[in-house]
Amino acid sequence: MLRITGGKIFDPANGIDGEVRELCVSDGKFAASVDGGRTIDAAGMIVFPGGVDVHTHVAGGAINFARAMTPEDHRRTQAFIRSQSRRSGLGGMAPTTFATGYLYAGMGWTTVNEAAVPVLSARHTHEELGDIPIVDKATCVLMANNEIVLDLLENGEYERAKNVVAWYIWAAKSYGVKAVNPGGVAAWKWGKDAKQLTSAIEGYSKLTPGDIVTQLAMICDDLGLPHPMHLHCNNLGAPGNISTTLDTLQHLEGHRAHIAHSQYHAYGGDDWDEMRSETVQLAEYFNTHPNITTDAGAVLFGDTVTITADGPWQHLLYKLTGRKWGNLDIENETGCGIVPYTYRPSNLVNAIQWAVGLELLLLIKNPWQVFLSTDHPNGGCFWRYPEIIQLLMCADFRNECLTKLPDKIKGRITLPELDREYTLYEIATAMSAGPARALGLHQKGNLGVGCDADIVIYEEDDDVARMFSHPRYVIKGGEIVIEDGDIRATPDGQEFIVKPSYDPGTDEFLQPLFEDCYTMAFENYPVEMERMENPDIRDCVPNS
Amino acid sequence: MPKSKFLPRGRKDRTAVLVDIRPTKSAKACDIFLQVRPGKDFELITILRALIKDQKVSEEAVAETGVSLEQCNDLVDRMKKAKFGCMFFGMGLSMTRGKHMNSAALLTLATEMNAFTKFVAMPMRGHGNVTGADVVMRWQTGYPFGITFNRGYPRYNPGEFSTVDVLVRGDTDAAFIIGADPGATMPQPAIDHLARIPTIVLDPHITHTSKLSRVHITTSVAGISAPGTAYRMDEIPLPLKPALKSPYPTDEEVVRRIKDAIAKKRFWMPEGEQMITAQI
Repeated sequence: MLRITGGKIFDPANGIDGEVRELCVSDGKFAASVDGGRTIDAAGMIVFPGGVDVHTHVAGGAINFARAMTPEDHRRTQAFIRSQSRRSGLGGMAPTTFATGYLYAGMGWTTVNEAAVPVLSARHTHEELGDIPIVDKATCVLMANNEIVLDLLENGEYERAKNVVAWYIWAAKSYGVKAVNPGGVAAWKWGKDAKQLTSAIEGYSKLTPGDIVTQLAMICDDLGLPHPMHLHCNNLGAPGNISTTLDTLQHLEGHRAHIAHSQYHAYGGDDWDEMRSETVQLAEYFNTHPNITTDAGAVLFGDTVTITADGPWQHLLYKLTGRKWGNLDIENETGCGIVPYTYRPSNLVNAIQWAVGLELLLLIKNPWQVFLSTDHPNGGCFWRYPEIIQLLMCADFRNECLTKLPDKIKGRITLPELDREYTLYEIATAMSAGPARALGLHQKGNLGVGCDADIVIYEEDDDVARMFSHPRYVIKGGEIVIEDGDIRATPDGQEFIVKPSYDPGTDEFLQPLFEDCYTMAFENYPVEMERMENPDIRDCVPNS
Repeated sequence: MPKSKFLPRGRKDRTAVLVDIRPTKSAKACDIFLQVRPGKDFELITILRALIKDQKVSEEAVAETGVSLEQCNDLVDRMKKAKFGCMFFGMGLSMTRGKHMNSAALLTLATEMNAFTKFVAMPMRGHGNVTGADVVMRWQTGYPFGITFNRGYPRYNPGEFSTVDVLVRGDTDAAFIIGADPGATMPQPAIDHLARIPTIVLDPHITHTSKLSRVHITTSVAGISAPGTAYRMDEIPLPLKPALKSPYPTDEEVVRRIKDAIAKKRFWMPEGEQMITAQI
C-alpha cells in the first residue's frame, strides 16, 4: 500500500494537467483511498504515469546478433555490477537483458513493445523477455513477408489468410501484427526489393505490397486486435520516399494502423544530394486522419547499431558505410540485417534525419497520435529519450543545436521555422498515455482508479534532460523500484498476449504446408504456454 | 531436404559443393568435390574473391591451392548463377593455420557475392547445444564466450578469459563443468590444473573429466529424459521433449539447488556502486 501526496499530477488519460492531488495504491493498482502503508511526500514534484515504449527492439534473434557484432561498444559503455538482488549487465548500443530492464525503469519507462518477432524464433524472444526485469512487455509478430500468408493473399483467400494470421499470433504467443517492408523482405531472398506499392512482388504474379497493406490492416481490425497493424512502410530511408509513404497510408483504406518510425519515411528529393524533409506533407496526413498513429523514430547524433527486418535496406546501408554487416534470413517468414552506424551532425543526410524526427513530433498537432521513439537502437538508444524531451520542450536549445548543422541544410528542413514547445502535459501524452492507448493497453499510461500503479516522480528541474534522466522515484505495479537513483527492487514484468479466434480447421490446412516447406516439426512450432513467464491474455473484440 | 515453392524437387534442385583436404563421406553426398591443399584455404578464398570481380590471378598462385583455375572459374560461374547461395564452414577453417583470418576471408567472400546474387555464410557448430550456450550468454552478458565476471560485470577477451587460458594460467581455484569433457580435449597443463583444484562435473555419463574431478553428479539427458531447449546452428530454438523418465535430476535442478545453497552464505562482494558509467 502506498500514498503519494502533494505532487503535481499529469494524467492525460483523465485530462488532469498539473493539479496537486493525492494518489493511492493498493494491490498494485490505483485505489480511491488507502489505509496505512508508506506515504511519499511529493510536494514540489511532478508525477507522470510510467513511460510506454510503443516501438523498440530489446529481445530476440536480431538484437542478440547485434550484441554479438558490437563487443567494442560493450567494453566502453556503462556496466551494472551484480549484487545479491541484481544481475550484472552492460548498457550501450544493444544493452543486455537485465541492463535493459534497469535502464528503462531507471528513466521511468515501465512498459515496452518489442516490435519485430519472427514466429520461428518467438520461443527465443520470450526467453529473453523473461530475462528483462521490472518492465511489462508486449510483442508484434512479423507477418507481411510470410510466404504462406502471401500465397493466400495472392490467391484471394482472405478468410483463410485471416485464420492463418490469428493462428500465427497465438503460435508466437504475441500481442499484435507487424508488417515490415511488405513483400520487400520476401523479394530480398532473391536479392530484390519491393519499392512500388502497385507492382507485383518478386516471385508472385499479381500480389503487390499495397494489397498486403490493405488486407493485413483489415485482418487486424476484423480480428479485433487491441493494437492495430504495426506498419514499417516500404522504401525506408530512401530520398523521395514520401510518395511511397503517402501511397501506403492511402492503401489503409480507412483501417486503423500504427506507422512505425515515420522519420525514416518522410524524405523528398531524388538522390542523397537532393534529399530534403517532407514532414509538412506527412504531418498534414496525420492531422487529417485520426485513425492512424505513429512514433517518431527520431535520430540522435552519435554511435548506434541499426537492426531491422528490412534486409535489402541494410545491404544498401552496408554498401554506403563499408562497416560490419550481418544478415539473417528466417526461412519462409522474414529476414533481418544489422549494421553499426554513427549519425554525425556534419553529415547532411544525418542532419536532415535529425530534423525530420523532431519536425514530425512538432508538426503533428495531436500528441495522442505521435509518440516518442528512436526505433531503438536504430535512430539512437532508448536511454537517450530525455535528450529528445529536452529538444521538444526547449525551442532555444533546439535553435542552438541547429547552428551546428551544415549550411547546405538551409531550405531543406522546416525545423528552424517551428517555435512550438511541448508542455509537460503533452510530454506525458507522447511518452505514456498516447502509446498505451495505441497499444490498446487501457490499464497503462493512466493514473485512474483501477489502473496499474506504474508511476514516475521527478524533481522539478530547469535542466529538462537531467530531470527526465534521473527520476526521484519510479513505481511499478505499486512497488518502488527506483528511489534516489538506486534500484530498490527488480520484480518480474508481465507479458501481454492475445488469442484471436480462428477456424479450428486451420491446423489441418497448415500442417501439410509445414511438412513440405519448414525445417521444424509442426508440433514443435507453436510456443508452449508453459514457457511464458507471467503471461496476461488480453481480449480481442472482433468486428461482427 | 525440405521442398519449397521455388525448389519443388528439394535436394534435386540444389547444387552442393564440398571443399576439403581429402575426399570424405560428405564428398559422395555432394555434386562437386574440390580438394584443397592443407593450409591453403585462405589462398583459395582470396583467389575466389578476385575471380568474382574479374581480376587477374596468377596461375602459379592458383596451382598452389591444389584446385585448378578451370575448377575455380566453374565454381564462380555457378555461385553467380545461384539464386540463393549458402556457405557453411567449420573447424577446418577456424582451427587451422590462419584461424580466424580464414573465417574472416570467407565471410568477406559471402558479403561481396551479394553484389551479384543473394549469398550468406554460416558456421557449422560442433558439440550439441553450443549455439544455445552462445545465444544465452549474449543476451545476459553481451558476449558469446571467453567472459570473466571477476569485476562484478561481464568482460570479454578470447585468449585471456577463455576456459583453456584461465586453466593453463592457474587463475581459477574451482571449476564447474556442465555437459562438456575438457579432460578429453584440452592441453595437458589445463587438465593438470583441473585435477589440482576442486572440479565438479554434471554429466549423464562418466567422462574423462569426471575421473579427475572431486565430485561427479549424474544428471538426466536433455531431450531424452529431461526437457529443455536446443538452439540450431542458425539460432532457431527447438523444444526438447523427454520421451523417458530418469531417476537422475536435470542439470537445471542441480544448478538451482547449488545456487540456493550459495545464496544462504555470506555474499562475497562488497556492496558498492550499482553502476559505473564508463569502464576503464
